[in-house]
Amino acid sequence: MAACLVSTAVLLAAAPARAQVVVVDTAHTLYHEAPTRTNMTVYTPGVDLSVNPAQWLTIRGGYEADIVSGASVAVKAGPAYAAVNPGADVISTASVNDLRHSPRGAITLRKGDVAYTAQYTYGTENDYKSHSIFVSAKTEAYEHNTQFELSYARNFDRVCDRTQAVNDRPPRFRALENSDACFADSDPLRTRHTLSIDGLQAGWTQAWTPTFATQLAYTAQILDGFQSNPYRSVILAQGLKAQEHHPENRARQAVALRANLYIRPIKVAVRIGARVYRDTWDITSGTGDIEIEKYLFEGFRVAARGRYYKQTGASFWSDDYTGGNAPLGPKGQYWTGDREVSPFSSIGLGLRLTYGIQPAKGRIIGLMTGLKVGVAADAIQFSYDEYTLGGVPITNARAYILGANLSASF
Amino acid sequence: MRNRQLLILVTLLCVAPLASCVTVKPQQRAVLADPIMQFDGDPQSAAQLRHAIDNREGSYGGGGVSGGGCGCN
Repeated sequence: MAACLVSTAVLLAAAPARAQVVVVDTAHTLYHEAPTRTNMTVYTPGVDLSVNPAQWLTIRGGYEADIVSGASVAVKAGPAYAAVNPGADVISTASVNDLRHSPRGAITLRKGDVAYTAQYTYGTENDYKSHSIFVSAKTEAYEHNTQFELSYARNFDRVCDRTQAVNDRPPRFRALENSDACFADSDPLRTRHTLSIDGLQAGWTQAWTPTFATQLAYTAQILDGFQSNPYRSVILAQGLKAQEHHPENRARQAVALRANLYIRPIKVAVRIGARVYRDTWDITSGTGDIEIEKYLFEGFRVAARGRYYKQTGASFWSDDYTGGNAPLGPKGQYWTGDREVSPFSSIGLGLRLTYGIQPAKGRIIGLMTGLKVGVAADAIQFSYDEYTLGGVPITNARAYILGANLSASF
Repeated sequence: MRNRQLLILVTLLCVAPLASCVTVKPQQRAVLADPIMQFDGDPQSAAQLRHAIDNREGSYGGGGVSGGGCGCN
């Protein structure tokens, strides 16, 4: 796929009669974490090819994958259950291996100061299929000092699950054992649920001075459908293990403000961002981040970044649904073993190096009008307030993210 | 809660027109147009990093508005 895109780019660039600009972007991310008893490694390669056959038109195609392997919690229990079952290993894990393919295509039309974009993305993996459409309109105002952007996205997703017994209710539901034959209609033990996601985003980017700009973004998202992990079970009572059961509806909102300031005397760009988030599962979060970037020599930039994140838990979160003192105990009609909806905070630190060249005349190795390469490394330390594995706190939840990207213009 | 949202909306409506008072002339945009001042300089790698982080948090959104510090792309 990547070779096909690159060769197409070279062929298009080699046609001198057409005033085309072709850009090939490729980005690769490696995520790894290995907290107590589990581990997860995800490699995400991606490539995009964009072509400008005319000034008013950009056509873009791309492909991304997620190659996932590791082990995750299959049965979650808390400290109260572990205390009445001494000696028993109340937590079980299961290996996870999956491959997600995601091709995409987009078109952007420009008229004056307005640009309209439409994109389609398809995602497929053993247990999940997704069709996503995205449309956006962007305009500039006040002598190009102001940009407004409005976008809408809609996902039509299908999630695999185990077929449950007709008379069983959620506390009796059993978890999906594996992803075999998930989308083969012939298997009576497999069923599919729908999940629709509507997302709206509005953005306002403003240049205030020759060295200071801000960006304000508002995001709203409504999810309707199956949102649990079908493979995970939660112990609800002595002898009662049930598939994770999340609410089917969720409305999410986030507001983010980012500011870019260039400090001329020391030739450093400082980016500061803040985000607040709230949803109908009662999760509230705040995020603050800062990035400092500087040219070390022409075209070569180095950036250091830091991020702090803190969230409250979902209203139905409990580390143990079988009992115990508050905040343990049952929480109504839903249950989860998902640490991402538990209260926690995280601190991230990262470094990014970028080198870009764009010769004023001529081409790089006779072919490219511009070239940019970048590498990044980030580490995130998670601190879980309540989440445990059978009463054992997770103190070594540390994620490492490595990234590399290359962009070539022809 | 609804009053607070209304207050934020009214504040935004009052602040937004201030943008019309700002004039950064084209010849003053050299710094704003530099890659170092772009909000999403590498959109694809930024999206992948966001994807990795979103999958570990209960939150979502507020990022990914394309464009940069300069109204010239």
